[in-house]
Amino acid sequence: MNRPLVKFAAILTLTTGLTAPAAFAQDYPVKEIQGIIQWGAGGSTDTVMRTVTPHAEELLGGKVVMKNMTGGVGAIATKFVYAQKPDGYTLLMGAENPLLYKVMGLGDIDYSEFTPVNILARGVPILVANNDAPFNTFAEMVAYIQANPNEVKFGSTGPGGVPSVVTALLKSKTDLQVTDVPYDGDGPALTALQGGAVDVLPAVLGAAIEAIKGGRIKPIVLIDNAPTAALPDVPALGASNPEYAEYLPWGPFFGVFVKNGTPEDVVAKLVDAYAKGAESEDFIKLMGDRGYVIESLSGKPAQDFLSKWQSLTTWLIADAGLAKASPEEFGIPRP
Amino acid sequence: MEALGYFMTPWLDLKLLFLVAAGTFAGVYVGAIPGLSVTMAVSILIGFTFTWDVYPALCLMVGIFMGGVYGGSRTAILLNIPGAPSAIATAMDGYPLAQKGLAGEAIGLSTVMSFVGGLIGIIVLAVAAPTVSDFALTFQPRDFMLLAVLGILLVGSLSGESLVKGIFAGAMGLLIGTVGMDPLTAEERFTFGYTQLWGGISFIAVMIGMFGVSEALAQLHHIEKAAVKQTISRIVPTWSAVRKYLPLSLQTSSIGVIIGALPGTGGDIAALMAYDHAKRVTKNPETPFGQGAREGLVAPETANNAAVGGAFIPMLTLGIPGDAVTAIMIGALYIHGLNPGPMLMIDQPQMFWFITGALALANIFMLIFGLTGIRIFTKIVEMPRTVLIPLILLLSIVGAYAVNNSITDVYWMLGFGVLGYFMKSYGFQLGPVILGVILSRLLDENWRRAIISEQGSLAGLFKGILTSPLSLVLFAMVVMIFVSQTPLWTAFRRKIGLEKIEHDHGAPGSGA
Amino acid sequence: MHDKIHRSAGELAFYAVLFIFSLVLLWSAYGISGFESLSSPGALPMAVALAMVISSGLILLDSCRNAERDSTRFFRDILPPVIIVMMLFITGYALLLVPLGFLPTSLLFLVVSILYLRRGGIVFALTVSAGALIAIYIVFRLIFTVLMPSGIVPEAEILAAFGRMFGGAQ
Repeated sequence: MNRPLVKFAAILTLTTGLTAPAAFAQDYPVKEIQGIIQWGAGGSTDTVMRTVTPHAEELLGGKVVMKNMTGGVGAIATKFVYAQKPDGYTLLMGAENPLLYKVMGLGDIDYSEFTPVNILARGVPILVANNDAPFNTFAEMVAYIQANPNEVKFGSTGPGGVPSVVTALLKSKTDLQVTDVPYDGDGPALTALQGGAVDVLPAVLGAAIEAIKGGRIKPIVLIDNAPTAALPDVPALGASNPEYAEYLPWGPFFGVFVKNGTPEDVVAKLVDAYAKGAESEDFIKLMGDRGYVIESLSGKPAQDFLSKWQSLTTWLIADAGLAKASPEEFGIPRP
Repeated sequence: MEALGYFMTPWLDLKLLFLVAAGTFAGVYVGAIPGLSVTMAVSILIGFTFTWDVYPALCLMVGIFMGGVYGGSRTAILLNIPGAPSAIATAMDGYPLAQKGLAGEAIGLSTVMSFVGGLIGIIVLAVAAPTVSDFALTFQPRDFMLLAVLGILLVGSLSGESLVKGIFAGAMGLLIGTVGMDPLTAEERFTFGYTQLWGGISFIAVMIGMFGVSEALAQLHHIEKAAVKQTISRIVPTWSAVRKYLPLSLQTSSIGVIIGALPGTGGDIAALMAYDHAKRVTKNPETPFGQGAREGLVAPETANNAAVGGAFIPMLTLGIPGDAVTAIMIGALYIHGLNPGPMLMIDQPQMFWFITGALALANIFMLIFGLTGIRIFTKIVEMPRTVLIPLILLLSIVGAYAVNNSITDVYWMLGFGVLGYFMKSYGFQLGPVILGVILSRLLDENWRRAIISEQGSLAGLFKGILTSPLSLVLFAMVVMIFVSQTPLWTAFRRKIGLEKIEHDHGAPGSGA
Repeated sequence: MHDKIHRSAGELAFYAVLFIFSLVLLWSAYGISGFESLSSPGALPMAVALAMVISSGLILLDSCRNAERDSTRFFRDILPPVIIVMMLFITGYALLLVPLGFLPTSLLFLVVSILYLRRGGIVFALTVSAGALIAIYIVFRLIFTVLMPSGIVPEAEILAAFGRMFGGAQ
């Protein structure tokens, strides 16, 4: 290598880095990109992001340093990224939760302040029960609960979590009086289900699938319109109870976002990198094994996905009496 | 023996052997620096080893885990600053030993005992994993609640000469742990309208402030005093010493394995419980507890390393993490295309035996690295305080920031440092504060779950406790420990504040 | 400096502060959910805040009733100038960290405090500080990729430029 040339190149990059803080796509990224993960290390959001990002890095030609910033159902991380410069050097790696912040009274910053880089995948909820529960199907469960009101313990992860939305969804069409026992995440709730501290848990398929395959818990019904390839024997709620079909498919999702106002060419580069990352073999295998549905949406389709999700879910929890503010106040239309 | 073959894989492959060694070595130092945690190291390794095979990646992670849990004891003994939460109890008798110039002996003893604890954890993992994990699953919310109450009662043995000050400190810790958004209802608690407080106060920031900064400030009083010269002639403890502590270490290791295997509790609680247990069963220690009792060093160090093996039990048999580190390792297994869960043991038994083998190997490397290089470490304490104190302060700040990349955590850390300094100056022990923070969520959440499960009925909760054998045992333990402290209570009530025990926070005796 | 029969300088005031602070926290805990139910989010906070109020009240009462003042003086034995100055240094550090950035603030802090504590020896202070800072930078920034506030030094860009210089970007 030619030394003076190297030095010159270094100085050049340095000066461009200094004088042009708003990076242009041709140089982007000139430094490490921070990826702020809303949920803790080892969780499903974390796993998804750490699988897809190394592939996106290859295309970006830069490093993405991923950090977990937990707390406040993801609101801490969301606010942090919102407070950074919209230069594409801070990515928000999150789940569905911010779309509920407004109605849950957790501030007024949600994904409308962010541009979706990629809505990577969607989870499918499933109702699972302790092996000793005196019912095996959705119909039997409903009958048992109606005969023994408040006796059956449903695991939950706090208002706005997947279990609470699924429970609200079920209650919107069927009279179900159950006792909700809250846990701080679906992992601990699944553990409690296996130990019999709760009887039923509306979980995400990806989190529950290994325990189902191992026979530690039993599946009751899949909250979707059609059975999944990962567990073909489990009936789908939309098929057995068509009154629910209008809500489905519904499920939590994972996405990568940047703050609104990020230069378009930077967004384009990120969108491209993550779209390619989502096509990688590792990612497809991970999603398939865990029963997630790959979406890989960006641009307009991603925006539509988010608005539809927000409208359906906020109204569901508002009608169930779980919300602190009506979606109407924020101009969220009823589905 | 197929299992033995898998067990020996990391021992026989030179590359894997090297990776376990490198991981363990790095772990010792990661553990020793407050603010660098094993959790952090392992999540960074996920990215670092992304393109590797799963075996080498696991070797590195297992090594870091084992070494890191042990490494926390180093700075606890030498500087009275626990490098990791699980070394809090170690400081209480380890630091007084260092002040007598016996740091070398203390480190040697804690290394050998960590090895013994680690070994017991691994043996239980290898022979009884399915049984232990089934047992761990039977813990109901009320049992976790009773366990937390049992933990709270440790305030009695951690509060030094003034129980009422200990109770205040413990209650303060419990309260610190509840700050932020309630994980069960998303209700705000003690946030006073600040969104920065939604995530709560980082436990590590409290720990670094209370132990790092307040200790550094307190040492400024003796800035002119020369550092204690350390004798490092006797590092490896004699066989008779090891044999003497063996019965105790077996008991404390069992505590470590069980607490480690329970989801939601880990090495930090195990070490404190073990310390309390040692204090209870040791009738005539050579040196009183808090002034350099060897038993007070043996108990937490065996327990926290035994908890490592324990934490792998539910992870490998059920795919349920036993603690924060195993939670990340489950994520790592997923990323490497494996599916940790109850089927892992059946579909891929080699994974279980491989990890057990790597753990056993890491345990041996921990012993080797622990017993060598002590000379360099003890040099740290002999550094002039004028340099050491600014460095400790800077490391505390960087460490507090690194945990969550948060400036707010740095402010909290400094605030608790100053508060801790005043508390120490006026005769409070800081151990109960940390105990409270550690146990806060366990107690709060499980109390509420237990009550909710009985549909809000206290009578239902008691009925549940009296009809379940496990709950009954735990309840009996709570009652027994509480009653055993009752003489203390009456004494305390009779001459409230009249005990005439001298103490000085700088002197050996106050420990953490 | 502190023993039980005698009251140290500032001790009573400290206990009073703890007591008042506990009362504020109890009031705040009551505000979370009042006496709604045993399983409400405010139940444990209220119980522990009450424990804090009672215990700090007892400590305060005890200190008022029994103790005579010992010979300690607040600004000599409890909070001597050296500790006040170091507390000011760390406060300054915390305030400057974000605007100035990690590297300059830390260097400043280390040099100034070593100089202050040693009272002299600028070369020594500079060498030790720079050496320690480089070690911390390598461990935290390079190995553990902790992105400290960069402030006025664009170290991330410099680092990336270095990365390109040696064997190209990743």
